[in-house]
Amino acid sequence: MYLALKEIRHEKLRYTLIIAMIVLITYLIFILSGLATGLAGENTQAIESWDAKSVVLNRDANVNLSQSTITDAQVKNAKLTKNQALIGQAPVVVKHSDRKKESAQFVGVKKNQYIAKALTPSNGRQARNNKEVVADEQFKADGYKLGDKIKFNSSSTKYTIVGFVKDAKLNVAPVVYGSLKTWQELRDFPGGRLAGSAIISKTANFNGHDKALKTYSNSYFISKLPGYAAQNTTFGFMIGFLMIISLVIIAVFLYILTIQALPTYAVLRAQGIPAAVLVKTIISQSLILMAGGIVIGALLTFITANMIPFGVPISFNVPMLAGMSVGLLLMGVIGAAIPARKIATVDPVRVIGG
Amino acid sequence: MAVIELKNINKYFGSGTSRVHVLSDVDFSAEKGQLILVIGPSGSGKSTFLTIAGGLQTPSSGDVIVENQSVDQLSKKQRDKLRLNHVGFVLQSYSLVPYLKVKEQLEFVRKVKPKGNLSDSELKDLLAQLGITDLVNKYPGQLSGGQTQRVAIARALYANPEIVLADEPTAALDSARVVEVGKLFKELADTRKKAVVVVTHDTRLMEFADKTYEIMDGKLHLKNTAEMGQTSK
Repeated sequence: MYLALKEIRHEKLRYTLIIAMIVLITYLIFILSGLATGLAGENTQAIESWDAKSVVLNRDANVNLSQSTITDAQVKNAKLTKNQALIGQAPVVVKHSDRKKESAQFVGVKKNQYIAKALTPSNGRQARNNKEVVADEQFKADGYKLGDKIKFNSSSTKYTIVGFVKDAKLNVAPVVYGSLKTWQELRDFPGGRLAGSAIISKTANFNGHDKALKTYSNSYFISKLPGYAAQNTTFGFMIGFLMIISLVIIAVFLYILTIQALPTYAVLRAQGIPAAVLVKTIISQSLILMAGGIVIGALLTFITANMIPFGVPISFNVPMLAGMSVGLLLMGVIGAAIPARKIATVDPVRVIGG
Repeated sequence: MAVIELKNINKYFGSGTSRVHVLSDVDFSAEKGQLILVIGPSGSGKSTFLTIAGGLQTPSSGDVIVENQSVDQLSKKQRDKLRLNHVGFVLQSYSLVPYLKVKEQLEFVRKVKPKGNLSDSELKDLLAQLGITDLVNKYPGQLSGGQTQRVAIARALYANPEIVLADEPTAALDSARVVEVGKLFKELADTRKKAVVVVTHDTRLMEFADKTYEIMDGKLHLKNTAEMGQTSK
């Protein structure tokens, strides 16, 4: 550690450049993971707010909420308790004469079931009748106001926004919560047999008691959201590649620096300085550089996160970032292993001659 | 009593027809308080002699005994320890860590070897004796060739070894500095009771030596003082 710190302090420019590289990589990794988490969140925010453990869908819906339909008879057979709620989901375009059109997800809920009861608007109040809706705060950010009369798709029926709710997005679209009756109208099933799209349960393995229905765990249901897995895998690969790039960079830099300093290390070995001391030096040097880069990268990420405009899906999962930081430190240790080996095997005789 | 002895040392490099006999039946010993010079031209085997004496490489045959320990029987770690505790190296170049100030070069030795070094007052005396007290806050790059060598000597002596092995310590120095270094080695051997072995091709150091050996084609001969025309005393 002693030699590592002294060298870094003495060779400021050289090590500042290396740290700058690590800062950029860390920053990129953190921002990418923030975007990945943010986007993933926009896929699932609404589902997570439902506190679901299991989801009952139509067996033939291919685990797709939009394709699932549940009949009145099936709901009756399922015997819902206070831990279950029926929802009806449909993609809609929200229209208002003075505001821009918004693509959204309509979620119909039953007033007396737990999802509707738990809905706590950050602004306004809960819907009291079929003509009232509660919308995600995205609408507020886009200029919609409480009391605005909105229409869905080409329907002429008007609905009033009576509340805005935080973090209510589904499939990267803001959610508009309304009644199941409105959902039936949107799906053109007024007075029909269809009751909703899915039964959401706060208990695991809730049984729908119907051969046409199937229960999925909430995590499986989320993993099957359209595009969700592909998007997460893409981000995962990008972050993984950046980790590998950081490993290569630290290894190359430390290798070059070690090769340059090899005669000095050889003399130190000749003087009886144990190889372990020198190996520890290169590893601690790598850890110092990585830690410095990670801390500055995290600070930059924090500043960016506070400056980024509303609407950009960015969210930080602190345990995940901590894990990535540990991963980067590990990359630093692995990157230092190659030059460390070079130091451990340096032959002082080659420098002195003889 | 000898603190370092080389007994019947032979060293070969290569094999078959390309085999070179670098050191041939070398016998050598040095006692505390002696400055011994090993003189020879380039390629005569001087550096091989030095590295074998310092336990950095093993002879093809023969025995090296340092402080009553046969170096050949020591493990790599034990040899490191032997060099750290009993042998001080002063080398022609790269002697100092370039990013450590003079005082930090010494501090580093203390960090690696916390015990058995010179005390603070002994170190102060040593720095004064070497004339480098004012240089403690300088980096090696800010020192002249002579100053660098004196700092390298200070670092080697700070660990308080019984033996100092120096490889061409005057290679980069002018005549005035050569005399200065020669006097210094003699003084250190006398006052600090070290066995100082200097391998060099610089005959200007001979006047300071207690004994001078000549190495030629791998054979080591003691040069008599009459042959040298003068003595160090």
